[in-house]
Amino acid sequence: MGRIVFGGAMSHVLDPDYYDRACGAVGRRMVEEAMAEIAQMGERFSATRPDALVVVADDHLNAFSFNAVPAMCVRIGRSVQRMSQDHAEAFDKVLDHMPLTYPLHEDLANAILEQGLQSGFDLALSWEAPVDHAFLSPVNTMHGPRPIPPLVPIWINCFVAPQPTARRCFALGQHIARVVARSPWKVGIIATGGLSHFPELSLPRVGETDTVFDRRLIHWMERGEHEPLLELTGDELHKSGSHEFLNWMVLLGAVSPARADVRYFGELPRINLAAVEWSLA
Amino acid sequence: MSRYEVNSLLYRLKKDPEFRARFVADPSAALAGADLSEAERAAFVARDMRRINELGGYLHLVMSIPGMAAH
Repeated sequence: MGRIVFGGAMSHVLDPDYYDRACGAVGRRMVEEAMAEIAQMGERFSATRPDALVVVADDHLNAFSFNAVPAMCVRIGRSVQRMSQDHAEAFDKVLDHMPLTYPLHEDLANAILEQGLQSGFDLALSWEAPVDHAFLSPVNTMHGPRPIPPLVPIWINCFVAPQPTARRCFALGQHIARVVARSPWKVGIIATGGLSHFPELSLPRVGETDTVFDRRLIHWMERGEHEPLLELTGDELHKSGSHEFLNWMVLLGAVSPARADVRYFGELPRINLAAVEWSLA
Repeated sequence: MSRYEVNSLLYRLKKDPEFRARFVADPSAALAGADLSEAERAAFVARDMRRINELGGYLHLVMSIPGMAAH
């Protein structure tokens, strides 16, 4: 019987140069501290000898704009490509030196998709969508030079209103956990993005965060109290700059009622950097 | 406010280097066929990313268009 052997969540622009430009030396130092913790999380994940890694993240209007914006989408097929961008700027630059192609766990992806459709989860599918920094920055930071196991990328529409609800994202995680339990595989799952940054997606407010809101989220995750998180509204997530917490809600559904261990939490003007791991023993 | 038109233009500026070059050379000509309000057109011609964001342009696009990104 399969099981989830690792659960983690982390910020997803893991690039010292980016934070040096955005926040100065303190930005570089803090993201390097966060990356060191995420690398250790990756070592613990690799030690479980996993068959697959589910990565729940969002698209930054790179893969799906604007012919269709799926609320939730599973990447199927045999491999996935890194997003390409000429003259990359800002968070896109983090991709520049990463490998171009990554293997997918085709059977697990298809199981999540097909069993979802049979049980009321009408997930979108893609054979072609590339993945951006939201997927690849955490995956590469976790693994360093070690081989990356076959991935199952899952996109949540965190940014293009109207978004799926926190409750529905949690239910997707529960679905993933059921699929894994019926499978023969040992599976890790990570959610990426956050914590608070870019409130209301407003350019003049880049540089603001809501640390009080983040500490409430962390408090509930540390206690394994997920019921209050199900009540989070789109308006709360938008105002606090917590859009990407929807990815974390999927992870919580997959690992609930496990409790979170915070490996890193650091306040920068631009974002609150975080790295969190769940005890699944 | 035409959220789709604003954002599809931003997306094209990001992902289509040839269109981006035409826009940089002559913004008004590059936008001639676009279904924009006067305020939207003026913001694009001025390359005013803050205004484009106020008019509904997605933050991650206005922050990542090569050569024009707001930081």
